[in-house]
Amino acid sequence: MEELLNFAKGPLFRFSFAIMILGLIRLFVLSLINGLEAKKKARDKSIPKGYVRKMTFGFLFPLRAFRVKPIYAFVSILFHIGLLFTPIFLFDHALLFQNSIKISLINLSLSKQVADWMTITTIITGILLFIIRISSQTSRFISRKQDYLLPLLLLIPFISGLVCAQLTVEPDVYNAFILIHILSGCLIFILMPFTKIAHCILLPLSQWITARAWKFPSEAGENVVIDLGKEGETL
Amino acid sequence: MDRINKAKLILWTILGIAGAVAITRFIFGLGVTTNLTDNTPWGFWIGFDVMGGVALAGGGFVIAAFNYIFGKKILHPIARAAILTAFLGYVAVAIGLLFDLGLPWNIWHMIIYWNPHSPLFEVGWCVMLYLTVLTLEFTPVVLEKYPNIKLLSIIHGFLYKIRIPLVILGIMLSTLHQSSLGSLFLAMPYRLHPLWYSPIIPVIFFFSAICLGFMMVMVESMTSSYLYRKEQEIHILGKIKKYASYMLIFYLFVRFADIIIRGAGSFLFSFSWGMSLFWIEILLSCIIPLIIFSMPIKKIKISILYFGAFIGVVGVVFNRLNVGGITHLNNLTEIGSFYFPSLMEFSISAGVVSAAMLIFFYFVENFKVWEESPFDNLVINKASKFNSFKVYLGSNPIVNRTKFSFSFIFAFGLTFALISGGEIHSSGFDKSPVTKARGADTLLIDGNRDGYGVVFAHVNHQKLGYTCGYCHHINKPDDKATGCYECHDDMYLIGDAFRHDWHSSSSGANLDCFKCHNKSVSKGMNFKFSNKKATHICQNCHNKIIPLDSRIKILKTYKSLSYTDAMHSLCINCHEQKLHTDSLLKQIKPNLAQCSKCHKNFSVFKKDKKLFQGKKENKWVVVP
Repeated sequence: MEELLNFAKGPLFRFSFAIMILGLIRLFVLSLINGLEAKKKARDKSIPKGYVRKMTFGFLFPLRAFRVKPIYAFVSILFHIGLLFTPIFLFDHALLFQNSIKISLINLSLSKQVADWMTITTIITGILLFIIRISSQTSRFISRKQDYLLPLLLLIPFISGLVCAQLTVEPDVYNAFILIHILSGCLIFILMPFTKIAHCILLPLSQWITARAWKFPSEAGENVVIDLGKEGETL
Repeated sequence: MDRINKAKLILWTILGIAGAVAITRFIFGLGVTTNLTDNTPWGFWIGFDVMGGVALAGGGFVIAAFNYIFGKKILHPIARAAILTAFLGYVAVAIGLLFDLGLPWNIWHMIIYWNPHSPLFEVGWCVMLYLTVLTLEFTPVVLEKYPNIKLLSIIHGFLYKIRIPLVILGIMLSTLHQSSLGSLFLAMPYRLHPLWYSPIIPVIFFFSAICLGFMMVMVESMTSSYLYRKEQEIHILGKIKKYASYMLIFYLFVRFADIIIRGAGSFLFSFSWGMSLFWIEILLSCIIPLIIFSMPIKKIKISILYFGAFIGVVGVVFNRLNVGGITHLNNLTEIGSFYFPSLMEFSISAGVVSAAMLIFFYFVENFKVWEESPFDNLVINKASKFNSFKVYLGSNPIVNRTKFSFSFIFAFGLTFALISGGEIHSSGFDKSPVTKARGADTLLIDGNRDGYGVVFAHVNHQKLGYTCGYCHHINKPDDKATGCYECHDDMYLIGDAFRHDWHSSSSGANLDCFKCHNKSVSKGMNFKFSNKKATHICQNCHNKIIPLDSRIKILKTYKSLSYTDAMHSLCINCHEQKLHTDSLLKQIKPNLAQCSKCHKNFSVFKKDKKLFQGKKENKWVVVP
C-alpha cells in the first residue's frame, strides 16, 4: 500500500500533471494553427465575428442561460465553481504546492468549513447534472458514453477527498481513500487534453473554430469524394 | 513521405525526453544531471556536443572551399546543404555549451572581458564569428523565397555579391577554430594519454576535421536521399569518396608519424585500456572507411558506402571524445574517479542533435536548399479507404502535427515522471561541521580545519572599546558571549538555531505546544496567517538572549546563516561602516574592508599547521 501510494504520489502524479499542462497547451496551439490554416485555404474568409464573440462570452458568463433554463444554469455554475476553485485553493493542496514548486497560495486558501461546503456542493450539483442529463430525452439523444462517465469520474476525487479531510478517519481507511483520490485525480489529469474536459482551455476558441469550419475550401467537395473512395461516380 | 515522417516522429520523441532533462538541468544544476566531478569537469557534453559538433560542422567549410575556391563545380548541388549543416552544427555547439557552462548566463563575458592568452578565448570568438559568417552565407537561401519584398531583395543582392569574401572568411575562421580546439589540450600534457597528446595536436585536429567534413557530407547526402526517396547523387558521392580517401591516408600517415617521432610508439603495443581505445579509434575513423572507399563506386552497394562513411564519422567523433575526456589520466589510471556519462547527459546530446536535424528538415522542405524540391519525387499518398471506425485526423500536415506534438508531450511527461525526485533532493552540499576558533588573545578562525583560515585579533577589538555583546549578538540562555560556532554550525549550509525537539520533549523543557504556538493553529487549520501570528518569538520567554548593545538587534528567523556567511557579513559590514564614518581610519587603513586584509598568508601559524589540521585531508587534486 505504502509503495503504491508513493508511486502514485511521485512518478504517476508528475507524469499526469506534465501531460495535462503540455497537452492543454498543445491542444490550444494546434487548434489555433489549424484554424488559421483553414482560414488561409477558405475562399470566403469572413466569419460572423459579432456572433462568435457573443457566444463565447455567453458561455463564459451564462446570463442568457438563466432566462432559458434557470435551474440547469444555476446547478451548472455551482458545479463549475466548485470544480475549479476547491482543488486549487484548498489549504492542504496549497501546502503541497508550496513544498513542491515553491508557489505559495496559502494566504489565498479557503478555510476548512468553506472548503468542505464547496466540496459537498460540487458533489451534489454533479449528481444533479447527471440526473438532468439522463432525464431529458433531447440530451440523451446527443450524449455519448463519455458524456455520462466523465461527470461521475470527476466526482470520485471530491468524494474521496472529503472522506480524507475528516480528522477522525483511521490511517488504513485514510490511505485507501487517498490512494483512490490520487489515482482518480491522475486519471482526470491525463484525460483532460484528450476528452471533452479540454473545453476548459478550448472555450475561447471553440466558437471561432466552429464558425471557421463552415467555410470550406473551394475544392472540399472533391476531397470528400476522394476520401469516401467514390471517384468517378455520379453524385 | 512515410520514411521522413517516421524519422521525424522519433526525433520529436527524443526531443521530448531531452526537454524534460533540460529543465531538470537548468533548475537543479549540473550535479544532479551529470556524472561530472571536480576531477573530470569536462565530459560527454564537451567531447561530443562541442568538440564533436564543431568537427561535424566541418563539412561546411570543406565543401565551400572545394566549390568556390578550388572550382570543383561538381560539388555545387550539395553546397547549400553542407553550409546549412555547418550552420546548424554550430548552433548546436553553442546550445550544447550553454548546458555545460555552470553559469550559462555569463556566456557573453568573453565579448567584453578579454583574455587573449587563453585558447578558450580564441575558441569562443571563432565560434561567434563563424556562426555570424555562416548565418550570412545561408541567409540568401531564406531571402530568395520572398522576392517581392523590396528590402529583403536588396539585402539578398548585397549578400550575394559578397559571398566569395564571406566564404573565404568562413574558411579562415574554420581553419583557426578547428585547430584551436586542439590547442586547448596543449595546456594539459600531463592529463592526456601520450597516444593523443602531441605538440601538433592542432594540426591533427584540422586534418581530421577535413576528413570528417567529407564523410559527414556523404552521410548527410545519403541520409536525406533515403528519407526523401530521392535518387542517390552517385557522381558527387564518388568524387567526395575519392577526396576523403586521400585525406584519410594523409591523416593516418601524420598521426602515426607524429606518435613515432615523439617516441610514444611503445604505447602502441603495450596492452592497456588506452591502447585499445586508440586502436578502436583508428579502426573506426580510418581503416574501415579506407577499405570501403577503395572499392569503385559502381561496384559497392549504397548501404555499404553509407556504412563506411558513417563509421568514419563515428570514429572521428570518438577521437574528439577520447581527447575531450575519456583518455584523461584520471580515467585511465586509478588516481581519479572513473567518469562515464549519465543517461541524462546522453539524452541532452541526443536532443540537441535531434533539434538540429528537425530544423534541417524544415529548411529543406520550405526553402530551396536542394536543386529540386523534396516533394517532387514523392508519390502523393492517396488517402486510404475511408473507414468510419478510425479517427480521422485530417490531411497530411495536420496528421503530422498531431502525431509529432503528441509524441513530444508523451515523451516529455514520461521522462519528467521518471527523473527521480529523491535523487534531485538528496544531492547538494555535504555537511561540513564547524569547530571552535582556537587561541586566546588572538584567534585562528578556521571552521572546517583545512588549514586556510583567518587570524583574528580578538583582544585588539576588545581594546578598541567594543563590548562582547556587540559581536556576540545572541547569547544562549544563562550564557555570556556564546561562541559563533554554536549556532552557525555548518561552513556552507544554513543551520537551525532553535531546538524544537528539546523544547517539546518531556526530558527537555517539557513545554506544552500552545506555550509557543497559537491555539487556533490546531491541526494546521489556520496556519495560513503567516508564521508570526502562529508562533511566538524567542524573546517572549528568553528576554535576555539579545544583548542590549548588540550590533544585530532583530531576530527575524530561527535559521542561522552558514559560518562563512555569518563571519563575512559581520566583519565586512562593520569594517565598511567604520571606513565610511571614520575619515582618519580611512587614511591609515584604506584596505580595511578588502579580502586580503583578513585572508593573509600567515607565516606565524604555518609551523603549527599540523596542530590546527584535524584529520581532514587536504582537498587539492594531485596530478602526476
